[in-house]
Amino acid sequence: MSFPGLTAGKRAGIAAIGFVGLLGLAAAIVAVVTGTDLTPRWLVILLVPLIGVAFTATGMYAWARRPESWFGLQMSLVGLAWFLATLGGSDEPVLFTLGWVFGSLYAAVVIHALLGFPTGRLTSPVDRAFVIAIYALTTVVPLAQALVVPSPAGYPRNLVLISDDSGLAGIASAVLQYGSLFAAGGAVVLLLARWARATPPQRRLLAPLLWCGVATATLLTLTVIGELLHLPEGVVNAVDLAGVAIFASVPLAFLAGIVRSNLSRGQSVGQLVARLGGVGGGRGSLRDALSSALRDRSLAIAYWMPAATGVPGTPPDQGRYVDASGAAVELPRPGSGRSFTEVEREGRRVAAIIHDSSLDEEPELVRAAGAAAALTLENERLDAELRVQIAEVRASRARLLDVVTRERRRIERDLHDGAQQRLVALALTLGIAEQQVDSDPASAQALIREARGEARLALEELRELARGIHPAILTDRGLGPALEALASRAPLPVELGDVPRERLPAAVEGAAYFVVAEALANVAKYARASCAAVAVRRVNGTAVVEVRDDGVGGADPSAGSGLRGLQDRLSAIDGRLAITSLSGMGTTIRAEIPCLPTTTTSRR
Amino acid sequence: MARTILIVDDHPSFRTSARRVLEAGGFAVVGEAADGASGYAAARDLHPDVVLLDVGLPDADGFRVAGCINGLADPPSVVIVSSRDSSDFGPLVARCGARGFVAKADLSGAAVAALLP
Repeated sequence: MSFPGLTAGKRAGIAAIGFVGLLGLAAAIVAVVTGTDLTPRWLVILLVPLIGVAFTATGMYAWARRPESWFGLQMSLVGLAWFLATLGGSDEPVLFTLGWVFGSLYAAVVIHALLGFPTGRLTSPVDRAFVIAIYALTTVVPLAQALVVPSPAGYPRNLVLISDDSGLAGIASAVLQYGSLFAAGGAVVLLLARWARATPPQRRLLAPLLWCGVATATLLTLTVIGELLHLPEGVVNAVDLAGVAIFASVPLAFLAGIVRSNLSRGQSVGQLVARLGGVGGGRGSLRDALSSALRDRSLAIAYWMPAATGVPGTPPDQGRYVDASGAAVELPRPGSGRSFTEVEREGRRVAAIIHDSSLDEEPELVRAAGAAAALTLENERLDAELRVQIAEVRASRARLLDVVTRERRRIERDLHDGAQQRLVALALTLGIAEQQVDSDPASAQALIREARGEARLALEELRELARGIHPAILTDRGLGPALEALASRAPLPVELGDVPRERLPAAVEGAAYFVVAEALANVAKYARASCAAVAVRRVNGTAVVEVRDDGVGGADPSAGSGLRGLQDRLSAIDGRLAITSLSGMGTTIRAEIPCLPTTTTSRR
Repeated sequence: MARTILIVDDHPSFRTSARRVLEAGGFAVVGEAADGASGYAAARDLHPDVVLLDVGLPDADGFRVAGCINGLADPPSVVIVSSRDSSDFGPLVARCGARGFVAKADLSGAAVAALLP
C-alpha cells in the first residue's frame, strides 16, 4: 500500500506516536493488572489496553492515509491520552498523580477529533471556542483541584497537593461536575448541528463516526446527570459502561467507513463503466452517470477549451473551462464547499468534475470515475468545443455586418458632404451665369470658369471616394501595384519593401491595403515624418503588414476613428492590429491577417 | 423693401453660393449660421422674414430646428433646403411647420419667393 503525500517529517511523527503508544500500552497493562480499585476487573483488563491500542493504531493508519488531514494525529492522541488516564491506577506517586490529574483529557481530544472530522480543522468559531473550553476543563480545572484535594485513602501520594482545603475543593468539584455536563451536552448539540449543516455526500462520509460520537456524548451526559441526581450507583455504572463500550467502537466506526467506501468505489466505477457503454448521447446523460456513480447530485462537468490554436503568441496551456452549451465556467475556490478534480486523457487536459468538497476525502474514487469516463468526456468536450466555435463564428458575423453598415453610412456621408455639395454649387453658379450672360458677359464668363473648377473638384472627390470603397487597381492587379499607387500618391517619400507577388484572398488584400492607406494618411496628417516604409510578408499562413515612419511618434490608437474602423475590419477576419509609437521614436503599425484559403481565393 | 433672409447650413461653400443667388434674386441676407443651435438663436435675434434651413445639420436635423423656430413669437417663414430630393423625407417637410422645400440645385430667389405668402 502506498501513501501519497506522506512527508519524511510526518513519517517520523507516526513512528514516534507508535513508540510512545507502546510505552503507554506497557504502563497501562501494568496499571490494570496491579491496580486495586477497578471493577468489574475482567472487563477493565480487556477494554482498557484495547481502547488505547485501537485509537493509537487507527490514528496512525488514518494519518498515513491522509497526511494533509490532522484527524489521524488527533485519533492517535486520543489513544495516548487514554493510556495517560490509565496511569491513575499506578502505585508510583509520579505516574499516579499524572494519571489522576489528566484522567479526562482523552475525552476532550476525542470531541476535538470528532468535530474536526474529516479534515481535523475546526471551521466554525463556536466549535473552536467550545474545544478550547473543554481542553481547559480537562487540564486547568483538574490541576487546580489536585492542588487542594489529597488523594483518596489507599492511593499513592498526591505530589502536587499544596494544602488540604475542603472549601476550594468543593468549588473545584462543582466546576468539574457541571463542566462535564456542559462538555458532554455541548458535544451532542454541536455534532448534531454539524449533521444538519452537511450536504448529502458529506453525510455519507460523516455517518458512522458522527453517530458513534453522538451516542458516546449522550451516554456521558446521562452519566453526569445520574451522578448529579444521586441515582442508584448500579444504574449510573451501567450507563457509564455502555458509554465506554460505544466510545471504544469509535475507531471501528472509522475503519468501517473506509471499508464501506472502498467497496462502494469498486461498485460505483463498475456501474459507471456499464452505464457509459449504454450512454447513447443526449446532453446530461454523462453528467447523470457520473453524478450517480459519485452519489453527488450537485455534480457538474466543465470541459477544457484550449485557447484558439494558430493565434501567435498564445501559450499552449492557456484556455478556459466551459459547460456543455459553451458558456464559460468558473472553477470553485478552495473553502467554498465545492471542489473539482481535473481529468486528463493521454496527457492532455479534458475536463474538470466539479463536486461537493466532501468527495476530496475519496480522491481515489473521483479519479477512478474520471478515468473511466475520460473517453466519453473527450467526446463531449469536442461537442462543446464545436458549440463554442459556432458561437464565435456567429459573433464575428455580427461584427462583420456592423462594420459593413458603418462603412455604408460613411460612404453616404462622404458623398453628401463632398461631391454632392460641389455639384449643388456648380448648378447654382451656372444658374447665375445664365441670368447674367446677356447683361454682364464678363462676369458670366468668370462664373462659368468657377463652375468648371467646381466640376473638376467634384470629379476628383468622386474618384477618391471610389478608391476608398474598393480601389479598382487592387481588384484588377493585386496588392503590389495597388500599394505602389498608394505610395506614389502619398505626400512624402514612401519606400515599398517586399510585397507577395501571388494573389491573396480578396478580404486579406483589402484589409492589407486599407491598413497601409490609413497608416499613410495618418503619417501625412500627424507624424511630421521625412519618410515612411511599407512591407507585407507572409509568415506561417499570416500576412504581416508593417508601416513605419521616422516621425514624432506618440500616436494614440484610441483617439481616432480611422484606426478603430481598421481594428473592426481586421477583427472580422480574425486579424490583429498593433501600434508601437513611443514619443520621438517614430510609429510602427503592424497588422497580422490570417490568410487561410477560402472559397474566394480561386479568382486569379 | 427687400425681404430679409437667414441662411442655416453647415457647408460654407453652399452658404456662399446661396447668398449670391438670393441676393441676385432680390433678398437681403441678414445672417448665416452653421448649425441648429446658432441658427435658432439668429432667427430669434435677427427677426428675418425667412429662414433658409438645411436638413443635415451637425447638432440636430433641420425639421426639429424648424419646429423650434415656429415656436418663437411672430415666427419667420421657414424654407427647407437639401441636396437630397424632397421625396427622401416623406411627409416630414409638411409636418414640421415649414412653408415648403427647395432642392439645393434648384435654389433661386424666385423659387423661395414662390413659397412665401
